[in-house]
Amino acid sequence: MTEEMKQNTEKTLMEELGFTEVEIARRRAFLELGDDDIQELLSINKLAKEYADPVIEAFYKHLLSFEETRVFFQDPGLLERVKRAQKAYFSRLTQGDYDNTYIEDRLNIGAVHERIGLPVKAYLGMYNFYLRNVANHLYEAYKDMPGKALRVYLSLLKVVFLDIGLAIDTYINRREQLIGKQREAMRELPTPVLQVRDRLLIIPVVGILDSYRARQLTEQLLDSISATRAKAVLMDITGVPIVDSKVANHLLQTVSAARLMGATVILTGLSPQIAQALVAIGVDLSHVRTTVDLQSGLEEAERLLGYRLVPVGERTGTNQAHV
Amino acid sequence: MAEVVRVAIRSDADIVMVRQQARVLAKELGFSASDLTLIATALSELARNIVDYAGQGEIILSLINQGGHRGLVIIARDNGPGITDIERAMQDGYSTGKGLGMGLPGTRRLMDEFEISSGMGQGTTVKVTKWAR
Amino acid sequence: MKTPILKQGPYLIASLQDELTDTDLLQLQDTLVEQVGRFRSRGVILDVTMLDVMDSFATRTLRNMVQAVSLRGAEAVIVGIRPEVAFAMVQLGLDLRLSGVQTTLDLEEALVMLDHQGQGWGRHG
Repeated sequence: MTEEMKQNTEKTLMEELGFTEVEIARRRAFLELGDDDIQELLSINKLAKEYADPVIEAFYKHLLSFEETRVFFQDPGLLERVKRAQKAYFSRLTQGDYDNTYIEDRLNIGAVHERIGLPVKAYLGMYNFYLRNVANHLYEAYKDMPGKALRVYLSLLKVVFLDIGLAIDTYINRREQLIGKQREAMRELPTPVLQVRDRLLIIPVVGILDSYRARQLTEQLLDSISATRAKAVLMDITGVPIVDSKVANHLLQTVSAARLMGATVILTGLSPQIAQALVAIGVDLSHVRTTVDLQSGLEEAERLLGYRLVPVGERTGTNQAHV
Repeated sequence: MAEVVRVAIRSDADIVMVRQQARVLAKELGFSASDLTLIATALSELARNIVDYAGQGEIILSLINQGGHRGLVIIARDNGPGITDIERAMQDGYSTGKGLGMGLPGTRRLMDEFEISSGMGQGTTVKVTKWAR
Repeated sequence: MKTPILKQGPYLIASLQDELTDTDLLQLQDTLVEQVGRFRSRGVILDVTMLDVMDSFATRTLRNMVQAVSLRGAEAVIVGIRPEVAFAMVQLGLDLRLSGVQTTLDLEEALVMLDHQGQGWGRHG
């Protein structure tokens, strides 16, 4: 049970990014990476081992000559380890089997690079440098067979572009997670419900209203009406930057639900821009009381309360009888 | 692990009964008061559809756990005349009988997931899910 | 299940109980519409505080009650729709069905409202 739970909660990067057999096959098909490419790449595996060291040396010389990339390799011990890993990867490129395990490895490597903060431009630049170097080696090795050199190179390009796509996906995924977390934090922004007078509430709504927050706002408002016996509610949306049809709909629903409970919601703080926009997109707010600002909203609410309120003392002393 | 409750739906009294059963089951998942009400309302609409259009059928309530994500699944099944034009039935304001025509589209809005399969003479099965937050 | 109907002065107060079936609701409608005439009631209060669900049938029947009662010359008010019930009704699109119907937060408020409306056309002993 605990093992199962663990598997359930800890998603692999593959699952997180939605990589299925189908998706992997689709990517390979799009790049036209087929069995013949794999054969081409396997055929130079021996050659690749020969040029591995000079390529790696040139590669790191290039990296270390730029401040931007040098900062990642300050520690000599680290540099050696990274070199070995990089060499293994370059050699792996010509070993075939671009299967699930391969994809998973590439995604994890991409995630590591993103985590240490290597910019995408450096990532791409390094691939470019590598490809140019290998192109020269292939040209030298197959001087008499230019067709072979080209075929191998094109096959290598396919695998490399598959890898680049995977790496960029991990970068995007991380950013999306970050945005998600920030959105999460935004949602935690509380919307206070303030009682100004007996039976009168004010709700200043600030920030972007997504469906989640809108629902929270509605529930909070309705519960407050019930708890305080509010008869009028001023909902001030001065602090809401965007009111599209979706947000307007949320507001309408809230107003309508409050009415079902017997309370009147007055919407205040509609800016000229928002008012124009709502008219333009055809949102009908004709059943909603709106005022230009909080002050006139307050006046309207007081009028409403004063007009409706009748001393309840009148009712005492009447007889009740069961029918 | 999954708890399953089956309730036969034959009359309007069963509608009340199945709502109570669902409340007990859904409470275990820690749904909020407003989610419990949304679920009960959706269930009411589904059960009423069975009574009104098929005469009888059944409702199956079950708890699910998908990757640590827990939820309540409601399956409403009948062997009634079925719905020929599902697309139309899913539009607001459409109704074939005495209902108000908000049963199906309304139920979809109340729940997180909604699936329907039906056909002329094949009965109707609706499956809806609400995830616990 | 029978819905208790309380007569208070010129008003009838029906307290709808939880777990009402459709049949119970229809029965209540018949009873109310009949009693409004018998007691010459000026107002009818439908107290739904106890209801934890208002689905399309309940909403439609309540609206019908309000309309039928008003045809018999009495004002009707629906009282005590709970926050979560109001939310569900709006989600379901039922709020529009009650767009012309008077609602108040509680019984006290409903009595104030009916008294106020009653003043408009004068009271009979």
